[in-house]
Amino acid sequence: MGFMDRLFGWLKAKKKEANILCVGLDNSGKTTIINKLKAPDATQQDVVPTVGFNVEKFVTSSLVFTVIDMSGQGRYRNLWAHYYKETHGIIFVIDSADKIRMLVAKDELDQLLDNQNVKAKRIPILFYANKMDLRDSLSAVQCSQILGLDNLKEKPWNISASNAMTGEGLNEGIQWLSDQLQSVR
Amino acid sequence: MAAMETTNGSREKSDWTDLNAPCVSTEVEKMDLDKADENVNWLKAHFDPVAGVYSFSSCIALADLNGDGDHKLVIADLGTGKYNMMIKVLKGTSVVQENTLLDLPTGVVSVYMDMTEPRTPGLVVASGSGLFVYKNMRPYYKYNVEALTVLPEEQQLWDQSKVGNVDVATLADALNSLKNEYSSSMLTSQTSHFLKLSSQEEAKQFVEDYKNVPLKRETVITCITTMKKSMAEDDAISCIVLGLENKEIHIVDCEAYTVLHKFTVHGVPVIINVSGLFDVDFRMFVACRNGCVYTLKKDSDNARVCLDLNSQVVGMERIHKCLVVAMMDRTFTSFTTKGRQLWSLEMPADILCTTIMDHKAKGFKAVMVGLSNNEVHIYRDKNLVDTVKLNDRPQALCFGRYGREDSTLVAVLASGALQVLILKRTAEYADHSLHRGPPSSQYMKLNIPKKTQLFVDQTVRERENGIEMFQNFQNDLQMMRVNVAEMYLKGLQSSMTPLSDDPNVPLKLSATVQGIGPMFQLILTIENTALPSPSDAKLLTDLKVVFKYLDKVYTVSPGVLSLPALVPDIPYKFSIQVECIASDQPAQDTITAFIVKPDNTKPVVTANISMPASEGVVVV
Repeated sequence: MGFMDRLFGWLKAKKKEANILCVGLDNSGKTTIINKLKAPDATQQDVVPTVGFNVEKFVTSSLVFTVIDMSGQGRYRNLWAHYYKETHGIIFVIDSADKIRMLVAKDELDQLLDNQNVKAKRIPILFYANKMDLRDSLSAVQCSQILGLDNLKEKPWNISASNAMTGEGLNEGIQWLSDQLQSVR
Repeated sequence: MAAMETTNGSREKSDWTDLNAPCVSTEVEKMDLDKADENVNWLKAHFDPVAGVYSFSSCIALADLNGDGDHKLVIADLGTGKYNMMIKVLKGTSVVQENTLLDLPTGVVSVYMDMTEPRTPGLVVASGSGLFVYKNMRPYYKYNVEALTVLPEEQQLWDQSKVGNVDVATLADALNSLKNEYSSSMLTSQTSHFLKLSSQEEAKQFVEDYKNVPLKRETVITCITTMKKSMAEDDAISCIVLGLENKEIHIVDCEAYTVLHKFTVHGVPVIINVSGLFDVDFRMFVACRNGCVYTLKKDSDNARVCLDLNSQVVGMERIHKCLVVAMMDRTFTSFTTKGRQLWSLEMPADILCTTIMDHKAKGFKAVMVGLSNNEVHIYRDKNLVDTVKLNDRPQALCFGRYGREDSTLVAVLASGALQVLILKRTAEYADHSLHRGPPSSQYMKLNIPKKTQLFVDQTVRERENGIEMFQNFQNDLQMMRVNVAEMYLKGLQSSMTPLSDDPNVPLKLSATVQGIGPMFQLILTIENTALPSPSDAKLLTDLKVVFKYLDKVYTVSPGVLSLPALVPDIPYKFSIQVECIASDQPAQDTITAFIVKPDNTKPVVTANISMPASEGVVVV
């Protein structure tokens, strides 16, 4: 018994765990992104608007990610703040085709950055400029301009254009995030 | 710090990006500029200065046209007012569809017409005397308001002219007399058009052209709104309420396109406000062009006058049990449904449009008032809770769900620009007023001492002898006024004043004293107040200034001042040295300056200069 426990403990310890918070406006594709990042056998077929939040787990080469996939609907957005304390990294998903709500995304991001739990720590933030396949979508650079990411100096951040339907651009972002998380520790 | 773009975009895509990059950067700069006067509750999500939209509040609507939860903005564009009338559908920042209209639109509403899934509403555009119904943005149905009866005499005249029994001139005479007998609104548009023709040839051609067109008298839709039929849900089936130029209100069923009910009011309806359900009970407020607001109820067919207003109605909204009316005389007034006034506010600028702001998630209901000073004021009851500054005068406002955002304000500006603002999630509207009303310090209780017996006695005395006291006071006041007038007259007559009453020597004299003593400088300003006229320049010559003073106290040099010729309207300044020689006491006395004419003993004007107390001589 004792030996087996230790063996499992050692095996587990080999891969570190990271808590990640996935936020963004409604209909930006958070759940679809998380769904795509999971192992192919665990994916859902239909993605419906999230109510409250979902907790998902997936493994990369170096880390075990526990992602809290928050609902982006207006009435659930005040839940986000409850999870900032425990999180090691944040994924912020932007619908790059929804130009009119870019400022709403910026407003939510500003509120997130203004939270004292986020301010206190050097949390890496990964932005996905999602839906890049759509015809009138903005590029990642334009998104970062509108969100004012140039002024975000105190946190490591990265923006990556993505298409959650095909999985394009997702892995680069997750790779960056896991590099950041490992270098921080 | 890694801030690199992960480049995954295809070749084509990156080209597109490059083209648009400068556009976005200017947008960002603009946002930074605006930051200074940014409203804390609203995000300026979109501004298109060259949208080129000409529309009014009744002609814009927000509706889920495709039933996919993505609400579109529908604008019935009046174009130039003659051409280019269009229905525009906007999704996000871009126009996704345009349909041409034949006539000027008067209103746009979206209604659910059937129960088929997916639930897509129809779009109803009122234009001229017809309703154009679109479904999935394709023409679906055209409904015409039923034609009115043609006057038999008029019908007969036209019939005869067709066969050739009546020549054009007699037809025109007969129609003109008909027009005088009834009113022009009782005649058909064909007749009015005919009567406007100037030449015989045109008239002949007109009769020839309209030979085979049946004569009909149509009315015009002036306003349109909707009413739920039997259920109050958001996506329940509605019917359409039309206001017509012939002073009628029609309730039209959306499934069968039949008139369910007709009402008659005493004015041409301009704005209709409906509450309730058609099958259960409803109540309508109809603002008319004659400045009256009428109430209509399900059971009674006759309209009751609810309000008789002093001015024309710009906007009328109903909040809970109150009716809020914005008028052209800048007033913004609330009434009960019975027509009793609750409160009235004066706006700082002209009211251009109103809309209701119904924030269901927060249970917040307010009225937005667009003003000509580019602002939108948000009133909850009579409290001004927020002010939004727009880039231009708002011409039309619409609040509702746009795209996926529940609380969006769409404004069409007078310049044709389109502005979209989004209410922040964190926006908080307190109940009390932000800017208006008395300051809060006014409500603080003051520490007032108790009433003394003396105060009570005095009050009682005042109450008992009020009339007498008032009369005494008035008497004294009159006496004082008489005394003052007498003194003034005396002063004028004896030239004791610094203003001359002699029309030949119009002069004004004033003096200032500089210094702290014992040496003073007295500066006299003398002005010739005659009206300067080039023909008769009234120069004043041979005047002298002399001073009267106690020679024990002051020495004045020069004692006599000879004035130069005084040109009208130019103030002349002369400086006179005054020394206080009374060293023992702090002297304070008056020096009198006279302006005299050599041949007259009576001074022209007099100025009394009260000297300030002199400092003693400093002995070093």
